[in-house]
Amino acid sequence: MLRESSNRSDALDSLNLQGTVNPDADSGVPHGSLLTAFAEAAVRQTDALPGLREQIVSELGVQELVDAAGVVANFQRMVRIADGCGIPLDEFTRDATDDCREELGLHEYASAANTA
Amino acid sequence: MTTTAATFAYTDTTWPVLERMAAAHRRSWTMLASPGEWWTGAQRISIAAECRRASALVDGLPDPGPGPAELPDAAVFAVHKLIGDLPNVTREWYDETINAVGMSDTHYIELLGVVVHIWSIDEFHRALDIALEPLPDPIPGDPTRRRPAGIKANGSWPLTVLPEDLAESEADIYNGLERASNVRAAMSLHPDSVRWLTDLFDAHYLSWIEITSEQEPFRVLTRPQRELVAARVSALNECFY
Repeated sequence: MLRESSNRSDALDSLNLQGTVNPDADSGVPHGSLLTAFAEAAVRQTDALPGLREQIVSELGVQELVDAAGVVANFQRMVRIADGCGIPLDEFTRDATDDCREELGLHEYASAANTA
Repeated sequence: MTTTAATFAYTDTTWPVLERMAAAHRRSWTMLASPGEWWTGAQRISIAAECRRASALVDGLPDPGPGPAELPDAAVFAVHKLIGDLPNVTREWYDETINAVGMSDTHYIELLGVVVHIWSIDEFHRALDIALEPLPDPIPGDPTRRRPAGIKANGSWPLTVLPEDLAESEADIYNGLERASNVRAAMSLHPDSVRWLTDLFDAHYLSWIEITSEQEPFRVLTRPQRELVAARVSALNECFY
């Protein structure tokens, strides 16, 4: 989905999907490194979280912070439904995403066995 | 600890939580407290309480204590597995869980529905350093124990209902779409969990109309920013799907 939306976005020149799995990689998404750092701190509940909240408010805005928290919360839910139900990848999605799954090392995840 | 008032007022928070989100959280608390298809309201609140105990265990925080009703051992274990050991959830574990004493496939899906929605709202609060909302008091009543019509094996571990097989009483759960996403279909053994998922998905992320639209959504973060955060959270959870 990220790759598809980036193709349609005027605000994004190029996308580096490594930014989704590697905290040191620049995704190319505006403020992407800050947003993924916030996501990681929220999921892991690290000491960096308060400072990252303030940084998002400073660089993006307070509504952006609340919006980002909503997206984190939403996908903390979605991954548990997917992995709790062994949801399969349909053929279209598998064919469309197999190259980037390989590139990002997603086949190494234990949950890959559940969606085969 | 429970309370009769579930307000999600957000009056003492630093951040301006949108009414769209607050209203969805209030609806979630009503849903949580109500009798389900397979669990009583008290049992559903105990599932939510166990969810908070599992989270506290992961974070090294004091045990917030159990809920008002006793749960089968397999249900307690399932909550802790889904919160604290997600990468090691397997088909074998699923099969053992639904065949355990006091459990079934429908019990599991309704339990999963409670866990993921309470967890999601709590995670929203933790991300913004907002105190967790006290759990509500249960609404009395018996589970209806009704399996939806049209359930079939469709690839997920649980049986599911596809849009073309929906009975009239569940005709709304996919919003009239001819194709259901795998995530929504996976919860369809418990139709109210699909409705709950749709409601909170809209409040926290995007509506299903926005998902399929090529227009930039009417949200603050852009679509690539939203999907980058989504992808990062999925990767942190080692979610292949």
